[in-house]
Order: sequence, then structure tokens, then C-alpha cells
Amino acid sequence: MAHVSIPMYWRTIPQRYKMLGQKCKKCGKVNFPPKGVCKYCNASSEFEELQLSGKGTVHTFVLIGAGGAPPEFADQEKAGGSYPVAVVELAEGPKVIGQMSDISPKDVKMGMGVKTELKKIYSEEGVIRYGFKFVPDQ
Amino acid sequence: MNGMTVGISGYGSYVPRLRIKKEDYAAAWGSFSAAGVSEKAVMGLDEDVLTAATKVSRRALESVPLEGGVVSRFALASTSAPYVEKLLSGTVIVGAGISNGAFSSDHTTSTRAGTEALIAGFEHVMANPGGHALVAAADAPRASMWSPIEHGFGAGAAAFVLSSSNLIAELEGHASYATEHFGERFKVTEDELVHDLSVKKFFEASLVSNTTKAANALMKRLGRKPEEYQHVAIQQPDAKVPSSVGGKLMFGEPQLASALVSKSLGDLGAASTPVALAAALDVAKVGDRIMVISYGSGAGSDAISLKVVGDRKATPSVQAQIDKKEYINYVQYLKIKGAIK
Repeated sequence: MAHVSIPMYWRTIPQRYKMLGQKCKKCGKVNFPPKGVCKYCNASSEFEELQLSGKGTVHTFVLIGAGGAPPEFADQEKAGGSYPVAVVELAEGPKVIGQMSDISPKDVKMGMGVKTELKKIYSEEGVIRYGFKFVPDQ
Repeated sequence: MNGMTVGISGYGSYVPRLRIKKEDYAAAWGSFSAAGVSEKAVMGLDEDVLTAATKVSRRALESVPLEGGVVSRFALASTSAPYVEKLLSGTVIVGAGISNGAFSSDHTTSTRAGTEALIAGFEHVMANPGGHALVAAADAPRASMWSPIEHGFGAGAAAFVLSSSNLIAELEGHASYATEHFGERFKVTEDELVHDLSVKKFFEASLVSNTTKAANALMKRLGRKPEEYQHVAIQQPDAKVPSSVGGKLMFGEPQLASALVSKSLGDLGAASTPVALAAALDVAKVGDRIMVISYGSGAGSDAISLKVVGDRKATPSVQAQIDKKEYINYVQYLKIKGAIK
């Protein structure tokens, strides 16, 4: 399992629960997830917090099927079947990877509008890890 | 009520898209025990009552609209929380962007929890006229697959913004009745599953007694007659109970119709009367009266009387979500519920 310790996960709660991003004070680009140094200009570590809309479009996606899921998602794949993982271009610019939910894998299309919602991601050390997934925006 | 007008200024509901039909239960077990329920809603693998409560909280705030940052009271209701000890409200407060300074409470020990939370919210806005309470009820009760009570257990959620201005429904009053009863629908500390004696008459006697006492006390205090209510939302462990209780209170089938969500969603536990209330608000006209009557084993009932004063509706409606569904079979259901280890 890709181990993420409880304190490490806890520190990412604002981005995982409510899409809190950051805007680089030097180049003005939006970073999500938040970075130590701006990934666009590589020249600034000064940011202002930015509440993202959670909306975006599917840039591309893949279906994770039998044997393809990382250990923390293996039970999910076994019980629920293959699940979509998408690269989504957010309204504010950044492209992020996330699971898609509330949709049959056959209905996922490139270019479709999506928005983030709080879902259970997986459990580790007896603690439920919540975070965003993308669902159809309608 | 003492002069001060408070009520509901916004609301939202959520029904998961997965459904299982009663025929699938009948094929697996030879019978289906939830009277009048034809199918029920099921939460997906990546959902629980906290993600559902977060979703309806956002929807309720958007329906006003109101910023989560001005909420001064948050109350959460569920009988199937993922933790026995841990502040459940914390997840929803952060997930829905509710003020961290809001006083919060978790109501979890009976299916009456939904109206407990609502009344706690009303009391807050009565005492703090500029305040806003957000009340979210979400439930997906769990029992052993061998238990007949499990057949009806569905899933759903609803949330309400309570304020003293910009109202769509005014609170006319509330009344309660509680007494000692046991053996029906209980969870012991050592077991996360709901137990039940499965003696329907014993359970219904308590339900009918408590709910009629609470509702009659309220109507007497308000000087109301049953026929003055256009919508009556009664606790729905199955889809027949509202008729049994309604019959005793002289409420007819047309008054029960708009809130009868259990026939297509199942037993929503602590979210039963909240989702039923949301369904009634979806179709209510200005001037209509709504009676809400909850029941929780152990046992107690709250009755709440509301008068509709605005026609701002939440989207999507409960009915629109009832109509949008994807069926699963019983084996898929067992896997999603974690009944096959």
C-alpha cells in the first residue's frame, strides 16, 4: 500500500475536502494541489490561498480493472468493478488526477463537465480517508 | 410560540443513485419484510453518512443562498455514523465550508435524531435572532443480512437552513413525548448492527402510542385540526406505518402522499422524516401546512408544525432523484454493504 501517514494526510485536508488551492504571487498561476515552490515559474514560494470552484472538464481518463488497482483500492475494484480515473482540467487552469464517481464507466467521456464532491477514498490504520472525487456536473 | 418568528430558509436533499428491488430480496430469502416498499436506495462504496451530510449541507446553503461562514449552529443526525467516538460534525464542517466557530452537536442514538437536531436548530435561532442553524440528517442503517429489519434499510439525506428571516416555512410549534420501551431496534455497544425482536405488533404499539401523543399534544396546543394540514411526514420504518399512525390521528392518504418517500427509498432511519419533509417542501404551495412526526425506538417522538410562506424550491427535488437510478442485484448489494468478507 502506498502508505500516507495520518499526520501527512491531515495536512492535506483543505485541498482534499474543499479544493483550497494557491495562486503564485510572482507569476499569478494557480497551483493545485498546493506546492512548496510554484510549478509554473519555479521562482517563487509565496502564494495566496485560493478557493477553487471544483469544476472542470475531463481531459483524458482510464478505467482501472481487475489487477490494476493499487492495494488500497483493490477491495473497491473487487466489489464495485472497474472504476474511472481521470485527468481533469480545472476551471482555474491546473490539471489534476482523480477518481470519478456516481457514473457508470461506460458513460465517461473526454470533455465532459465534472465537479468535485467529498467521498471516502480508502481506510488505513482504522481511519477513513476522505477526499474529493469527480462526479458529473449537471 | 412566543412572538419571535423562526423557520426554514433553505433545504436540500440527497438520494444515492443505486437501487435494489424487493423482488431481489424475495429471490434470495423467499420474502421481503418491509411493507409497501418496492425498492430502496443504496449508498455507493465510496459514500457514508458524512459524505452524504456534506452534500446536502452544501445544497441547503446554495438554495438560500447563504455562505457557510455565517452559520452559527450546526447539528448532525444519523444512526449509522462511521465512528462511535470522534466528532462527526468536524468532517461536515470542513467539507461543506461551515464556520469553524459554529456550535455543533451530533445526534446519533435513535431514528428520532433528525427531529432532535431540527428542534435544537430552531431553539438556537429563537435565542439568537441574527443566527443561522444548519441541520443535516443522513442515514444508511445497518443490520445483519439474516435480520428481517435489514430488508427495508435504505439510504438518504436532507439538510435545512433555519433562520429568523427570508423564510420559506415558518415554525408554528413543536411537541414531544418520550417514555421507556425496549427490545425493538437497538444496538448494543459491542455490536455495530441493529437488533430487533422482529415482533411487529410490539414495535408498532410503541410507535403508534408515542407519535400520536406528541402530535395530539401539538395540535391541541396550536388549536389545529388534522384537516388543516396538506402534508404529513411521519416516520417510515416501512411504507405502511404512516397509514397506521395517520389513521389514528385522522390524517387521510392524500395528506400522507407527498411525504411517502419510503416506498421507493426504504427506511431512512434518522433521515426518514427530514427527507419526507424535503419532499413535502418540494411540492408545497404557499399557505400549506406541514406536520412532521418522528419516532425513535427506546422510545420517543417529536411533532413539528410548519406553515409554508415561500415557494423557493431546492434542486434537485427528491422526486427527480427518486427517478434517477441504477439497479444492482442482491450479490452486488452484499459486496457493497461489506456483508461478504
